[in-house]
Amino acid sequence: MSMNILKKGDGILLVIVTITIIISFTAVSIYKRNGSEGSKIAVIKTKNKEVKRIDLSSVTKPQKIQISDEYNQVILVENDRIRFLESDCSEKICVNTGWLSQKGDVAVCIPNSTMIKIEGQSEKVDVITH
Amino acid sequence: MKRKFILLITVLVAILTSSCNKLGTTPPENTRVVPYESEDFAMGTVVMQRIYDDNGKKISKQVIDRIRKIEEGMTINKLGGQINKLNEFAGIDFVELDKDDIYILEKAKEYSEISNGAFDVTVGPLVKKWGVFSDNPSIPSMDEIHSLLGIVGFKDIKIDKPSSRAKLDKKGQVVDLGGIAKGFAGDEAIKIYKKHGVKSAFISIGGNIVLLGGKPDSTSWKVGVRDPRGPEGSYIAVINAKDKAIVSSGDYQRYFEKEGVRYHHIIDPRTGYPADSGLIGTTVVSELSIDADALSTAAFVLGLESGMDLIEKIEGVEAVFITDKKKVYITEGLSDQIQFEDENEYEYIEKR
Repeated sequence: MSMNILKKGDGILLVIVTITIIISFTAVSIYKRNGSEGSKIAVIKTKNKEVKRIDLSSVTKPQKIQISDEYNQVILVENDRIRFLESDCSEKICVNTGWLSQKGDVAVCIPNSTMIKIEGQSEKVDVITH
Repeated sequence: MKRKFILLITVLVAILTSSCNKLGTTPPENTRVVPYESEDFAMGTVVMQRIYDDNGKKISKQVIDRIRKIEEGMTINKLGGQINKLNEFAGIDFVELDKDDIYILEKAKEYSEISNGAFDVTVGPLVKKWGVFSDNPSIPSMDEIHSLLGIVGFKDIKIDKPSSRAKLDKKGQVVDLGGIAKGFAGDEAIKIYKKHGVKSAFISIGGNIVLLGGKPDSTSWKVGVRDPRGPEGSYIAVINAKDKAIVSSGDYQRYFEKEGVRYHHIIDPRTGYPADSGLIGTTVVSELSIDADALSTAAFVLGLESGMDLIEKIEGVEAVFITDKKKVYITEGLSDQIQFEDENEYEYIEKR
């Protein structure tokens, strides 16, 4: 009798332990993926206000976003990357910055107070002088 | 059977704990702390902050409010503020200023003296004439430059510290704190972080960087040194540092071109023309960002030889010099803190 109860307990334990292992491994792998790769969120800000938030990894078709403020600007979004495509500001630093594709990448247009940033931190460098 | 059961449990526990250990050791838990990051437009540029603290949002707001206050008081590009008043009363009378203004003016004079006028905040009339910060920059005539040079001179800033007042001696003189105010603001930001007990944070005021502590895992921050000929966000080297201010100056920051000649925004107060010292970029590392800000400009104007001499004279200050031949020179103290990135385009010189 007692042997039987133990066996039953074995089974239950085995199931619990297996489930625990599976859950923990899944959790760890999700956690790791979010840490290094994961979804890339681009945030567009004008005049210190967030105007759009895009998950770059889920972009399938290229799309253009118009910004009409002091200056007119066009932002181009493609799968996994984003950039200022056109701007009628004088220096065009924003356009010359080119594509942003890594976490922590930033493009700024100071005359128009606009910026695009990919959320998160770069592993290679924390911040760059100007 | 009982033995088998115990064996099974032991094995399972072993598997579980081993996987747990892996989880715990790579990577350490505290490196995964999510920082608060903010970006704001202020002081005519973009201010970025990264703060490792639960109150990051509140603290970053306080910092931005402080920076906007500093900007209001010190700008000459908008109306109002004490520095505008100081300039209005040039050649007329003393003007009452707050202790921040006095501190900055004293610092400015100090750096003017040790750089023999290569850094000089009274360069204002020339900066205005060149209009490099306006939409319509133009090349002034030699006569215009010559006459404006007559009212450039840091010795004409008279400071009466006990009564917290200052005066510009000659009519038409203009103090322009553009080369030092962002540096001051960076130091003020660090004070606010410290007041709130923050251990790990940095601020970038238009690329003037000030680091508080190191990263949460106690490693150094990695600061990219801007590539003077690359796009925004490109860098030629990475400096590893903690608790330091890092500021760059260069001919790429603001300029216009006429007939193939680049006219940039750093006017040499001694000649009246954009500094032409053979450098395209300087980066200074120091404790305070007000020092790094003034010294990066001074070193840029002075050029490699005199600039290096100046930096080496001051304790605790290091620098990177980039010449127009794309040769990169560093001060000795920086050699074990810097990694060069683009070895194809730039040449790194070990010994001057």
